[in-house]
Amino acid sequence: MKQGVAVIDQDVCVECWVCYRNRVCPHDCFSPTPLTLCGDVLKHVLSDPTVTSKGTGVPGRGTEEAKTNDVTGRYGKGVYGICIDMGRPGVGAYIRDVEKVAMAVAEAGVTFASPDETPLSTVMSNLSTGKIREELLDVHILSVIIEGTCEKGRLRSVLEALLKVETEIDTVFSLGIVLALAEDGDDYLMSTLDQVGIPQPIRGKVNVGLGRPLFSSQGDRTVKKESVL
Amino acid sequence: MTHTLHRSGTAQSLARDYVWQLYHAKGVNDHNLVERLRQAIAIVEEVGSVNWGDVKSGSVITLAAQEIKARITEKSRIRGVFTSRGQVTEFLRRMRQADLGLCVIISGLLDSVFLACQEAGLKPHTINYSLGIFGRQALAADEDSLDITTMCGHHMVPDGLAKQMREKVRGGQLSPEEAAVKLASFCPCGIFNQERAAELLGREKKLSPPR
Repeated sequence: MKQGVAVIDQDVCVECWVCYRNRVCPHDCFSPTPLTLCGDVLKHVLSDPTVTSKGTGVPGRGTEEAKTNDVTGRYGKGVYGICIDMGRPGVGAYIRDVEKVAMAVAEAGVTFASPDETPLSTVMSNLSTGKIREELLDVHILSVIIEGTCEKGRLRSVLEALLKVETEIDTVFSLGIVLALAEDGDDYLMSTLDQVGIPQPIRGKVNVGLGRPLFSSQGDRTVKKESVL
Repeated sequence: MTHTLHRSGTAQSLARDYVWQLYHAKGVNDHNLVERLRQAIAIVEEVGSVNWGDVKSGSVITLAAQEIKARITEKSRIRGVFTSRGQVTEFLRRMRQADLGLCVIISGLLDSVFLACQEAGLKPHTINYSLGIFGRQALAADEDSLDITTMCGHHMVPDGLAKQMREKVRGGQLSPEEAAVKLASFCPCGIFNQERAAELLGREKKLSPPR
């Protein structure tokens, strides 16, 4: 409150526009913030799921991960998908913490998804190391997914890197691991989780394989996407 | 997106919570998409989905179903929520029979989803496993709030609103059902399970009013 007036802290605001969209102010005082800076656009695209990212063509934080794997074959035999949902649930995250985690898993063996697949990659200055553009490090967002893949043999290193870096950040993340069950069983994943001390999952998101035409690992199909964020 | 993946709660509570999603990959299975989505929605409506919607227009909590269907475009993402494994089985069985070629995803308790797939004659293709929350967990809301707010994985249901609704139910100003619908109205995708939310909020009635 400033002189009896409620003021939004623009450094912390993530531009999700929940307050505006749901008309939570009885006097209708909220209006959309002009998105003039690159950081403001990034905040809004990542935090408001009703917005479609230009880069991925997908609403929200923008990645299709397991959901279309039956027709795209993004994750094949011996390849694990890594989905690190930074700032979630509901805590939010500064990009500097996102970078810290991204760089840790890159060193452990994660290859990030390309800029036409996931919005975070569009703001990385180095897609191999996970380094993010300097001017965005102080941007605060509701959440963003660090998404990539790792070879089966690097899975344990990646999980251990995450268990180390979780103690070095000022936020939370939710972790998902993607596996093409049709190509690989999940025994290796479950035993690796046991080895590093992560509890076995009881929930998951299952692509039931009804997409047509089914992806064939012998095919050379490429899914074309549009320009970046 | 992983907004349906990390829903918190006890196994008993999550047993009444299954998110369904219809997806397509651009240039692969997006031909005649709008018509095929409408056919899939007809199946959803026959099976009975407690909430569903399109993030581009809204959910059935805030818009008439006919309006959502009329607004479907190539950019639509249709998803919703079932409240029983039996519904999941029936939905998958009918979708398999319809053979629409859309990618179909069910998010829920793995044992139950696997069983539903088996009952529908399907073999799970790909799984995104939810492995929990890491980092400074003390920063997150309390578990009772998270059980509610994580039903909108984009976190468009604020912790503060969940807290306010819990207090209003506890104080007798709102019924659990009224509060649950209010919360669901903040989720534009239509994956918020207001029936489960009402059950969770029903616990608040047993607690004393806030001071």
